[in-house]
Amino acid sequence: MLADDVVDCHVLVIGSGGAGVRATIEASHYGDTVLISKTIVGKGGCTTMAEGGYNAVLRDQDSCGIHFEDTLKGGAYLNDPDLVNILVKEAPLRMGDLIKWGAVFDFTENNEVAQRPFGGQRFPRTCYAGDRTGHEMITTLVERLDSSKITRLQEFTVLDLLKNGDAVIGAIALDEKGHLIVLKADSTILATGGGTKVYDISTNSSSGTGDGFAIGYRAGAEVIDMEMIQFHPTGAVFPYDARGRLITEAVRGEGGILLNNIGERFMKMYDPERMELSTRDVVARAIATEIQHGRGTKNGGVYLDVTHLPREQIETRLPVMLEQFLKFGVDIRNQPMEVAPTAHHIMGGLRISTECRTTLPGLFACGEVSGGVHGANRLGGNALAETQVFGKRAGEFAGKAEKRIKKVDEGQINKQQDLLDTFLTGSENPAQVRTHLQRAMWQGAGIFRKASDLNKTLETANNLSFTPIKAESARNLAECSIIRNMCLTASLICRCALIRTESRGAHVRTDISQTYDAQHSPFSHTFISQSRHGIEKNVGSA
Amino acid sequence: MKEITARIYRFDPEKDTEAYFDRFTVRVNEGARILHVLHAIHDTLDPTLAFRYSCGSGQCGSCAVRVNGEPVLACMEESQNNITIEPLHLPVKKDLVVDLLPTLETIAFLKPSDTIQMPTKSDIDMIKPLRDCIECLCCVSVCPAMDVTQFLGPTAMRQEMRLALDPRDHGDRILDAVREGLFTCTSCQACWKACPKDIEIPSKAIEKLRALADRRGFTIPRHQEVAALIRDSGRSLARIEPTFMEIINADVIEPPGEVRATVGFFVGCMYNMRLPKTALDAIEVLKRNGIRVIIPKEQVCCGSPLIRTGQISFVDTLRKRNIDAFRFRNIDTVMTMCAGCGSTLKNDYKTPFTVMDISEVLTTYGIEPPARLPIKATYHDPCHLLRGQGIRDQPRELIRQVIDLVEMPSICCGSGGGVKSGLPDEAAALGKRRGDEIKKTGADMVISSCPFCEFHIAGHTDKQVKNITTVLLEGYKEKDRKKDLAIVS
Repeated sequence: MLADDVVDCHVLVIGSGGAGVRATIEASHYGDTVLISKTIVGKGGCTTMAEGGYNAVLRDQDSCGIHFEDTLKGGAYLNDPDLVNILVKEAPLRMGDLIKWGAVFDFTENNEVAQRPFGGQRFPRTCYAGDRTGHEMITTLVERLDSSKITRLQEFTVLDLLKNGDAVIGAIALDEKGHLIVLKADSTILATGGGTKVYDISTNSSSGTGDGFAIGYRAGAEVIDMEMIQFHPTGAVFPYDARGRLITEAVRGEGGILLNNIGERFMKMYDPERMELSTRDVVARAIATEIQHGRGTKNGGVYLDVTHLPREQIETRLPVMLEQFLKFGVDIRNQPMEVAPTAHHIMGGLRISTECRTTLPGLFACGEVSGGVHGANRLGGNALAETQVFGKRAGEFAGKAEKRIKKVDEGQINKQQDLLDTFLTGSENPAQVRTHLQRAMWQGAGIFRKASDLNKTLETANNLSFTPIKAESARNLAECSIIRNMCLTASLICRCALIRTESRGAHVRTDISQTYDAQHSPFSHTFISQSRHGIEKNVGSA
Repeated sequence: MKEITARIYRFDPEKDTEAYFDRFTVRVNEGARILHVLHAIHDTLDPTLAFRYSCGSGQCGSCAVRVNGEPVLACMEESQNNITIEPLHLPVKKDLVVDLLPTLETIAFLKPSDTIQMPTKSDIDMIKPLRDCIECLCCVSVCPAMDVTQFLGPTAMRQEMRLALDPRDHGDRILDAVREGLFTCTSCQACWKACPKDIEIPSKAIEKLRALADRRGFTIPRHQEVAALIRDSGRSLARIEPTFMEIINADVIEPPGEVRATVGFFVGCMYNMRLPKTALDAIEVLKRNGIRVIIPKEQVCCGSPLIRTGQISFVDTLRKRNIDAFRFRNIDTVMTMCAGCGSTLKNDYKTPFTVMDISEVLTTYGIEPPARLPIKATYHDPCHLLRGQGIRDQPRELIRQVIDLVEMPSICCGSGGGVKSGLPDEAAALGKRRGDEIKKTGADMVISSCPFCEFHIAGHTDKQVKNITTVLLEGYKEKDRKKDLAIVS
């Protein structure tokens, strides 16, 4: 059967975070553009939650060359240099767009965009709007969207991409009531964000369920470096039900220090030079090690302390942190925060070209769902910049793409309908499957990894994906399809983590010893698609 | 772990003809938020329960619901036991999910100029407090003006002001704001108190926009008349009968017995010129309780009618005259009995003296217990007392000593913000709603503590409307009558 509702457009953008909205704004210059989103546009995704900042070279003392080197070094030299080059060159331009469109970034006394230091960077190049930078960006972008002629489908869930031969020609989605709709498009942009909700402890919003990785993979696209999961060093540990909530790196950028339960500033043992402003992978491992060795707090974290900073600095530069902790009973002006690592960002994702083309014709990707920009570890402040730089490029190149013959294969739609029917006749509670998966991933594919754990976790993810989960009503179908995506994304992470038999950046294999450093690794990207998988060798390495 | 029982609003427009409540009991961890209770219900008891959330950390504004009637972000508000969770006052899509889009779509967006004029740091600093909005629509859920007019609402005004401050924008924000209902706001401040980001929309957006609108000549003619009267006479009302200050004709009123405290009395235009009898009742109550009252004759209008309507050019003169009137008599506590004057002196003045509402004065020093009167009364919270001054308990503490109190929801009566004089139809519509609430309580009497509320509500209920001090005085009279009877018998 063919779904009742069919939408036909030039560019279909899936996902309404910073990258998706930026792509939509750009694509709208070239033809009918539809933005489809699981959430209300501006409220979903992780951009709106991003606190710390946006890296852009704006001062004469700084240079794109240094930003490039910092990013590569921070990424353990796994980044795709062409993508990094574009990131650092275009981040200032896209910052200019935001300012032009009304963004309210903090200014210096000289009426310039203010910048602060962030981890792993040799120049303070992180632009910010207090600690609600992402919210400022998305508010600005949505205002810009309001003045663009585009169609928004909000609180719709994309199930899969539509194919015509090798080419992607749109997507199949559910509306909030569980009705199928078909969206045909000359170009389709995946901007679905990340997926660390597959872990028990995560900073992500409800939409960080890895749908884009799963949807892209099922359509035949190649993903790279899926083992590269950034564990943010500082997530909240209390209250338990809100565990993982992000405590921004800006806290350390502003001068916050990390202490263990005996009051030691322990970063001196892990990175005496950069201390708290070391890269996230290093700080996260340091905190995890302190906790493992019994030097953690009663709630299972370490202390992050800003009580030595002037109260006014905390109130004006970290207002969201102050407000959130006050709500949870801690006045960070007088008391230390308790923090522990939390799954934050997926560096890997769909393989893209500098024009954001994936390995499938007609399919583009930008933002966290794509891979290659951040290598093995992302620098704080580079993700927001990435959303704008590559969002704009994806919108532009998707918009410029030619019209395509969009012959919808009814078989594909019938297959979706059949799958939905199995959910309606399923028996198991989807919430339990989700919880089971999240715990397994945290235990078996977390900060420290070994093959035996990864194999076991992979098996769990695979088994869970076959659990006959039940949709209580048509409105619950989206939830079931999302859990299916989470299982697939989790399995991609485990598979890549098994393929990469080295420690690199955020990926640490405790069962493998190696003598070389990241710069001399014999390996490059891991890759998986339905037709192949493996790890690329570094040209020129042994 | 702890157990939480919650009553939850349920409604599925595809199945239900009307909404109903379900009761659920779930176990959550210590410190769990409302959102975690909803997750626990959805995950373990009823997967069909619909609610919206996204970031889980108070930044996206998806999850606002009403808990025990008050709008909150579900992800930030700690869950208590035995709570009622309802959707915001917006069209319900299912259960706790409301349709945010029609309101979100009315919020203005920046129209960039062709030549960009960059903001300065001081522009940015002015804009920032208005930029914290996460568009959760808690403010829209509580705005009384939106219920009875075409007002686009508090956050729409916030955004117009944010844009008006930005040199990059070239829209006519003032004209737009006026068209969108700028003058319909009653300045009840419910939006500010409901805002999870504590954005002071009434003072930081609406009054500022009205001031800009005034410069463009958009002020309502009736409000201009009031401003002219204040400029000419120092008072916002014309004299039509002997005033309280003329009747009392004294600078100092000494209590008969021991003097327990001395206060300066800021009378306010309404009590002085329209409700002198109520002010005289208050004096009797103060005398009986040993409070010496000083009434400087030089005092004038506090300026509230000007500030609320954006006509601010004369306000500094009033401020100076009032402050001087009390300072020259070395008064360190100034008492107000008009909620509007009190809120203005506390929030729009920098006074060298302490300002206290009469209910604060009486509860601070304690009162002689009056006799109980055999009536049931309800209390109307004046917006400028409850939200403007944070005074909820003191009036109730006084009232409960004399009569039985039945509560009703604290909602604006429609008399504030210049609405009664400028937009009488809106004021009447809100007054009628207040009358309906009063009726529901079954009370014989309405008590309040604001001359505007008392005056306005009296026109929309068949119950008697009285000031707290009048009721206290009646309690004392009853006490004296009983004592006299005892002596006679």
